[in-house]
Amino acid sequence: MSKPDPPGDQEFDAQGFARGIHELLVLAALREEPRHGYQIALDVEAQSNGVFRFRHGTLYPLLHRMEANGLIQGRWSSGAGRRKKVYSLTDTGRRHLSGEADRVEDILAGLMRMLRRARELPA
Amino acid sequence: MNAFQPTLRRLDRDLTVPIPNRLRILRELEFDLEALSGELEARGVPPEQARARALDALVPDGATLRELDRLHASHYRRLTRHFSPGRLRTIERSALALATAVVLFAETFLLLRADWLRHASPFLWPVLGLGTLLFAAIATLAFRLWVKRDHQDPAANLRVILFLSGLTLATGIFGALADLLRLAGVLQAEPGLAGSLLLEWLPASSVLLSFSLLLALAGGLAWFIPAHWLALVSGAHAELLGHPLPNARPGAPRSLDPARPHQPASLGESS
Repeated sequence: MSKPDPPGDQEFDAQGFARGIHELLVLAALREEPRHGYQIALDVEAQSNGVFRFRHGTLYPLLHRMEANGLIQGRWSSGAGRRKKVYSLTDTGRRHLSGEADRVEDILAGLMRMLRRARELPA
Repeated sequence: MNAFQPTLRRLDRDLTVPIPNRLRILRELEFDLEALSGELEARGVPPEQARARALDALVPDGATLRELDRLHASHYRRLTRHFSPGRLRTIERSALALATAVVLFAETFLLLRADWLRHASPFLWPVLGLGTLLFAAIATLAFRLWVKRDHQDPAANLRVILFLSGLTLATGIFGALADLLRLAGVLQAEPGLAGSLLLEWLPASSVLLSFSLLLALAGGLAWFIPAHWLALVSGAHAELLGHPLPNARPGAPRSLDPARPHQPASLGESS
């Protein structure tokens, strides 16, 4: 009897996946136009009907890490005597968004298949 | 006062990242807090509730602050995180002593080979000694500010640099005057030696004054550049948090609590 095929080349990293989802949410929020941190938080909450919500400032380490990794670019601007930081998507971020969106879709489709099958089984 | 300033001051105390990075984080947060609460108010949320929601969404909690600390820590802090503070201090002091010894050795080696030192003023040696101390003080400050990125209480280092620069210049000028007086005394006693004595005195005095002026100028620059930079940082701190960076300026009072040297004494905030 042959052994079943492994589910993938790499072991699934649930924590990394959750972090990746947050990154994708930020990237998706920045897809159309540059935004400030609070606008990203509002946009993510509105677009996901409140399913995803940034709390306790968790948005900032995420934004700063993504900026350091070159996925987004932060620019300081001045207006009405105040300095504010605006984030925009970089080319790397755009590529990452499109590649990771496909990967997440695959993972979620696999998960949904499993859940549907489990629901169809008699109790 | 900005409604979020007490929160920003608390975060200023709790974050341990270098001050310029900390100010950037707080400035970004300040704008977002005001803009988000304003936006919520515009949507009909009562002001108190809007502020509370903005604080809940954007103000970092303990875990997020630690994450920000990790992200914005200096390279030096990341590299040395495995050393205990005591051990690190010993290593830093040893490295400084070694660097000073190398400078002293190189200085001595070069000077002993120089022809013009055969008739050097006796005051040149204290000037060069002060120059070595000045190098150690400048190296310590530069290491603290730009390698270790520790911007707390640099006023003492700045005062030492300014004092050593002034002392080097004063020693040089005093030495040149003392040499001149000595020369005048000898010339009065033996006018026939004027030619040869003047030929000895002139280069010795020029070398002494040149060295003391150059060292004092280098010290003055080494004082001015960080002092000016710290004044800018302190100004940004004052603009954002309502008070300048404590102990950033030479002559500013020292903090009473070394564990929290940048904690303002009278903020009246309990959180």
